[in-house]
Amino acid sequence: MLLIENLSVSYGAVQALKDVSLEVPHGHVTAVIGANGAGKSTLMRTLAGLTKPQSGQVTFNGEVISGRKPEDIVRMGIALVPEGRSTIPELTVEDNLKLGGMWRSHAQRNASLSRAYSLFPVLGERKSMRADTLSGGERQQLAIGRALMTGPQVLLLDEPSLGLAPLIVTQILELVARMAWDSGLAVLLVEQNATVALRIARTGVVLNLGEVVKSGPAAEIASDEELRHAYLGY
Amino acid sequence: MSLLTDVKNMSNAQKLRTFPGNRIVWHAVIVGVVWLLLLLLNNNIDPLYSSYLALVAMYATAMFGMTILVGLSGQVSLGNGALMAVGGYVFALTSMNWQTVPIFGWEWNAVWSMVFAGLGGILIGGIVGGLAARLKGPYLAGLTLGLAVGVPAITNRFPELLGGENGLMLTVPYPAGGYAASEIAAGTESGAETSDPNSDAGSDTGAAAGEDQYAELDLSEFDQGVDASTDPNATLASEDLLTEGDLLTLDDFSNGGDLGLESADPVVEPSVDPSVDAGVDTGVDPSGITDSFDGGFIIEQWQASMAIAVACLVAFAALNLIRGRQGRVWKAVRDDPIAAAVVGISPSGSKVSAFVVSSLFAALAGAVFAQILSFVGPGAFGLGLSLSLLVGIVLGGRSSLLGAILGALIIVWLPELVNGLSGERGWPDQITNNAPNLLYGLLVVAVVLAAPGGITGTVRSWIDRARGKSRSPLS
Amino acid sequence: MTNFIDFLLGGFSSGAVIALMALALVMVWRSTRMVNFAQVGQAMFTTYIALTVQQSTGNWLLALAVAMVAGLILGIVVFFLVIRPVKNSDTTGAIIATFGVLIALQAGAGMIWGGDPEGFIPPVSNAGLEFAGRIWPVSLYDILVWIVTAALVIGLTLLFTKTSLGLSMRASAFNPEVARLSGVRVNRMLITGWAIAGATGAVGGVLIAPVSTISPNSFDILLVFAFTAAVIGGLDSLIGAVTFGIGTGLVISLVSGYTDASNAPVVALALLALNLLLKPDGVFSHHGSRSV
Repeated sequence: MLLIENLSVSYGAVQALKDVSLEVPHGHVTAVIGANGAGKSTLMRTLAGLTKPQSGQVTFNGEVISGRKPEDIVRMGIALVPEGRSTIPELTVEDNLKLGGMWRSHAQRNASLSRAYSLFPVLGERKSMRADTLSGGERQQLAIGRALMTGPQVLLLDEPSLGLAPLIVTQILELVARMAWDSGLAVLLVEQNATVALRIARTGVVLNLGEVVKSGPAAEIASDEELRHAYLGY
Repeated sequence: MSLLTDVKNMSNAQKLRTFPGNRIVWHAVIVGVVWLLLLLLNNNIDPLYSSYLALVAMYATAMFGMTILVGLSGQVSLGNGALMAVGGYVFALTSMNWQTVPIFGWEWNAVWSMVFAGLGGILIGGIVGGLAARLKGPYLAGLTLGLAVGVPAITNRFPELLGGENGLMLTVPYPAGGYAASEIAAGTESGAETSDPNSDAGSDTGAAAGEDQYAELDLSEFDQGVDASTDPNATLASEDLLTEGDLLTLDDFSNGGDLGLESADPVVEPSVDPSVDAGVDTGVDPSGITDSFDGGFIIEQWQASMAIAVACLVAFAALNLIRGRQGRVWKAVRDDPIAAAVVGISPSGSKVSAFVVSSLFAALAGAVFAQILSFVGPGAFGLGLSLSLLVGIVLGGRSSLLGAILGALIIVWLPELVNGLSGERGWPDQITNNAPNLLYGLLVVAVVLAAPGGITGTVRSWIDRARGKSRSPLS
Repeated sequence: MTNFIDFLLGGFSSGAVIALMALALVMVWRSTRMVNFAQVGQAMFTTYIALTVQQSTGNWLLALAVAMVAGLILGIVVFFLVIRPVKNSDTTGAIIATFGVLIALQAGAGMIWGGDPEGFIPPVSNAGLEFAGRIWPVSLYDILVWIVTAALVIGLTLLFTKTSLGLSMRASAFNPEVARLSGVRVNRMLITGWAIAGATGAVGGVLIAPVSTISPNSFDILLVFAFTAAVIGGLDSLIGAVTFGIGTGLVISLVSGYTDASNAPVVALALLALNLLLKPDGVFSHHGSRSV
């Protein structure tokens, strides 16, 4: 289980995260929702090791991971799919996938590769094409596939819906939810699109100006009119 | 000395902020005072130091352009040595070949050659700058590196015009003394023509015949001196040339035209061999001339005052540009070209203008260098020269004119320091010759890593810290 | 026509060396987005080391191997002492720092080995081969240069396209953040890039030394040629570096043959300017045009 305790992050004078605490349990999707600038991406980048926390700590199965390098954190089993379909356009689809988990054994990598192709059949069809020939939705699948190649126990998904058609968003997120359920993956999903996120999540966390204003069962948060008006703007 | 006055002018800068309208007047006053002080200094020091002063002023002139190009506009150029070559060669060619053509009724003289050198610099700078404005960091550095290597090679393409490897020797049109020297060189044939005592100092160059003789001399003897300046110790080599040049005591140039020229005739040897004594100056054997004139024209002092004049004029122009609107435009484009474009500044226009200005300064410095050496050649303007300009500006401080002056001092002084040490300790040549460059290289790396603002930037950030302000070392 | 063929054949060896230097520049560019203007300085230094080894042992292969190892080490040293600390500061500073390294290396070499040009004895004959009743402008040594260059290029291609290390290096070059998030130790990849570049440049230096001479400044012009080739090739492309490296060698050989060797730098400058004007990103680049 990924445990976040009193995490604070600041960029110079700007306090991006303030005393954030939350748990990401295995087998479920935990959704962090909030408006632009709420600190969602900062949270994800800090968990992945791209940003250093000011105070507080993050532990994974009892081991402190905050302050470590991203390449070490991913090797411990926490994979981030960053915002904006983070594939490497110059590489082929297969090379993009192979990049994930380069430190793992050949057998593990091959198993992960065939699993990625079975989860996302379209990637298998285009494996020798350059990533920049893919559509937006396909590239998001590739980005998630690359993260899965690292054999993660925790998957951090940053705004996967950005710029994608609603139908594709639903498909991808349902797939993620099923994966969490099937293989005991802990998923932390950050979304601006609260409706979709809360539909597949078990727990919802509302972030506003770097602070957790509410956390609880996703259904409860989804139905809280006041919360929606105040922080989610719809 | 110049450091002191510039510190003074830094405090003036504070006042300027309250009287922006008087800025140009203030700059003129500052530069004028510095100029006067430097002239005073020049007239009261040993000619050897005058020759150093001339070199410092020449380097500073070129480095003012580097301040604008590298510091303010953020374009790393290794081509400014090549742009100096443009100025040097234009100066040499115009002063050698066209001197008998009056322009707008003016007889040809050094000032006209300088003007043409400057125009040449602007032209080439515009072309290179137009290309450069499209390029970012390393591409630009590479292109200008090509320029530094390629332009001196062009001289081999036109050996008749540009003298090839051997370069061109020029007769420096020394005011008054210059025409006396020419007359001496030309022997008796042109003597009558030039001995017009009413002519103004410096504007009369009637001694065409004599000067042409020099232009056509084959200077194979010169080779060695030139090759020495190919290596990055250009300063050392040129100083050697300078100090070998002895004193040429013809006449104090400030005395103008009232030379007792007729008295020169009997003592001068009619045939002069310019290859003697590394061929610096005009090849005149100074023996016996000295006592013919009252006063005394010291060539190093003349060189220094000429170089100082150019440096001060260029500094005045640079000061007004940097502290005016254009300086802010350059910095804005350097720091954020997109934001600058959004507020209506053309980033490429700004980059081109920085290139043109720095090229103009470089060409003027090149013309001064040509007069100091009495010579232009591919070796004197090689990659070593370009690199030393970059080294100087980085060590002194990339973004300030004072930094350029300090850089010029370092470039001239460090090899002398090493030479002195070497003389005391008896180091082998191999060490002595390379020590300055090793120091330059290591210092440049150290400065970039530890104090990117160079000397001036670092001192300024100390001052600011003492006053409780914070500022980027490069602003 | 025979002239043309002769000049062309004569250009392949220098083209091969330019290609190696361009490859070194490209590898550094790919790993740290930086042009290492000290690259030929490093190659000059390691060539002097090779010269020393050859003079004392007479073994050319050993000299080559020592130069490669020295190039590897020098690449790592320059990376750690200069590039890593400067990386986050301004790009202007980074460029200037590499020139600082170049100046220091040249002066250092001058101190150790003196400034006079020295000859480097080739391991095989440098005389033109006789074949079909005439002497061709190709020597046994030229053939050796081709073989070594081809072996190195093929080896590097396999490394980059077929191995995990190569994939990690490419990914680190294209997108360091994604590479790190995938578990690649990007910093090690950057060092590896600098090290391989250093070794590649060292091979280039040892190969060219017997054809020209070696002195602290003798490789300056090679820097211009290699930079030209690398830029025309797109700075990012290994294939581009090799293709245009050889191409530059051929053009220079033709220009030198038909006119005069002193025109070569001017031609390189013209090629570079033309390319930067028409296609600033190079012929083989994948990327769009740079914005302001």
